[in-house]
Amino acid sequence: MSARRPMVLVLIAVGLAALAAYPTVGTGYGVRAMLQLFMWIALAGSWNLVSGLTGYVSFGHVAFFGIGSYATAILITRAAWPWLPASLAGGVAAAVLALVIGYPCLRLKGPYFAIAMLGLNEVLRVLVSYFEGLTGGGLGLSLPTLQATLPIYYVMGATAAAVTLLTYLILTSRFGLRLMTIREDEIAAEALGIDTFRHKLSALLLSAVGPGIVGGLAARDQGYIEPISVFPLATTITMIVMVLFGGKGTVWGPVLGAAVLFVFQEAVWARFIYLHQLLFGAIIIAVVLLMPRGVLGLLQLKYRLPRTI
Amino acid sequence: MTPRALGSLVLIVAAAGGTLPAAAQGPIRIGASLSLTGTYAEPGRFQSEGYKLCEKDLNARGGLLGRKVEMVVYDDQSMPATGVRLYEKLITEDKVDAVMGPYSSAISEAVANVTEKYKKVMVAPLAATTSIFKKGRRYAFMMVSPAEVYLEGLVDIAAKRGYKTIAIINEDTLFPKSSAQGTEELARKAGLQVVFKEAYPKGNQDFSGLLTKLKASNPDVLAAATYFDDAVAIARQMKELDVNPRMFAVTVGGDIPRFQELLKQTAEYIYGSSQWEPTLPYPGAKEFHDAYQKEFKHEPSYHAAAGYAGCVIYAEGVKKVGTLDADKVREALLALKTRTMFGDYQVDKDGAQIAHKTVLLQWQEGKRVVVWPDDLANGKPRFPR
Repeated sequence: MSARRPMVLVLIAVGLAALAAYPTVGTGYGVRAMLQLFMWIALAGSWNLVSGLTGYVSFGHVAFFGIGSYATAILITRAAWPWLPASLAGGVAAAVLALVIGYPCLRLKGPYFAIAMLGLNEVLRVLVSYFEGLTGGGLGLSLPTLQATLPIYYVMGATAAAVTLLTYLILTSRFGLRLMTIREDEIAAEALGIDTFRHKLSALLLSAVGPGIVGGLAARDQGYIEPISVFPLATTITMIVMVLFGGKGTVWGPVLGAAVLFVFQEAVWARFIYLHQLLFGAIIIAVVLLMPRGVLGLLQLKYRLPRTI
Repeated sequence: MTPRALGSLVLIVAAAGGTLPAAAQGPIRIGASLSLTGTYAEPGRFQSEGYKLCEKDLNARGGLLGRKVEMVVYDDQSMPATGVRLYEKLITEDKVDAVMGPYSSAISEAVANVTEKYKKVMVAPLAATTSIFKKGRRYAFMMVSPAEVYLEGLVDIAAKRGYKTIAIINEDTLFPKSSAQGTEELARKAGLQVVFKEAYPKGNQDFSGLLTKLKASNPDVLAAATYFDDAVAIARQMKELDVNPRMFAVTVGGDIPRFQELLKQTAEYIYGSSQWEPTLPYPGAKEFHDAYQKEFKHEPSYHAAAGYAGCVIYAEGVKKVGTLDADKVREALLALKTRTMFGDYQVDKDGAQIAHKTVLLQWQEGKRVVVWPDDLANGKPRFPR
């Protein structure tokens, strides 16, 4: 284990360096596809932080993405903020939202949180449409034209890396052990003296920041947002599928799931327009039936890989 | 390794390494992403068929600049983010020679940033929101008349008949909302009093609350900025609740045959707006209709006609200057003034459409009759009782 460690670090460093150098050789499409992949890694990794570790399934994680998008777009258009601080503010906005929804809901055990998150997304979409003075309502918000794909590529990549690193740090900490205890048996966790409410809420706050920042970056890169395209339930579903595929509660599971499914989608959907949704559905069913713990979960069981992978 | 496996390996490597440089006289490739699945699948498919028919017709007439034309079409799943990525792919990986616009204002708005970056002329046949073209973009061109004037005919007829009050309702998304705002402005200018105005969310199905309030304000005219499903639901529930304005118009949906099939007698007297009808006296409109019917075995919608016309207009621009050079084609398209099977084309200095007319239809005895403007009409508006 300790002998393998430097090897792993070197591998990671080489991988990161390759990704950092990629824009010098990649095409415009390649850079944008990688940017999108980073986005999915950050989203899936964030969902994994709360749902993979505590077992509290969030069916509305795209709400944090959406509020980050809107916070960023509003700061850029109405207050003329530069995009970088505006995106970070999007992360803060998402954390505040997580506090507001998590404080009442996570005091309860069981499925209430899942339902509340689902509702939260719908409520936000209606609210955004309603306060049109600020958000443009159904007209959407158009950001001033700016070509910043390259810097956004790096910031998006850094966010994905940060979420993955955070997952590693949590998984190897006492905090992470306590979260997993909650997942396995919440009553037992309480009996052990764990303040379950505070732990669940912290996990939710940490898992909201990433999507908030990523939402802001996506809004800036795309240049136009509207309520319907920013709060789609499908985005949450994709995050969940990526994590389930890769292995929930692991460090590299969301990265693996995002990479495999994103590449798969890119490759398949251009050729089989009507078939790819069917294939996506088939993957979900196959994963649940054949490897409910995901690819990494399966490998961990079979080859006794360390839990912190 | 078998020769076949070797061959496919070479192919894969070639594909991965980017497209090989095309021979000088290879086809002109025109790329587009369209909403073939998702929310906008219905109109998106019509538009893609319009592009395909245009490709076929251009090639039948010897292609463009003596080269064959080839359309490269992807599916953007009705998502702006996917559209953005696909245009980037079309331009930087597939290295297409030209692009055509996607479906819907929202997606056109998003992808226009990509096409501007690479200085590609983009005729956007189904972006009806003027603001897209008023942001200093240089290479985007608009084909249809703007959302704001969709119900110009309704207001015009009402004012001429001496009606005094109008109610305006709309779905709360980019296009219907612009449409409602425009109608309100036109109504005020024509001296109509706006007595009721309300928006409802996308996907709304129960309009009884809204219609009850509306009924209390007793308007002469009702203008509804809709898509298809809501237009049908509103018409049905008006009947149930006995809401009877003298004139009732919807923006999108009233022009589709299924509107009448679903509503039967209830559709009678209802007005709908349309960017195009096969019966309009435009040169080649009927021929387009017949060719389309033959090719795809169903009737074209105006989305199909707009897609076809957009492609024809782009080809026109290229022929004028004899090159694919974006700046030269742009100049040609800015100066162009023509009438296609889709109607008039002329843009202002920003590429926004100023000549195309949206017509007003009315359902009369189960048929669509064009009642406005007078020079394109094939019937007179009828009024109940």
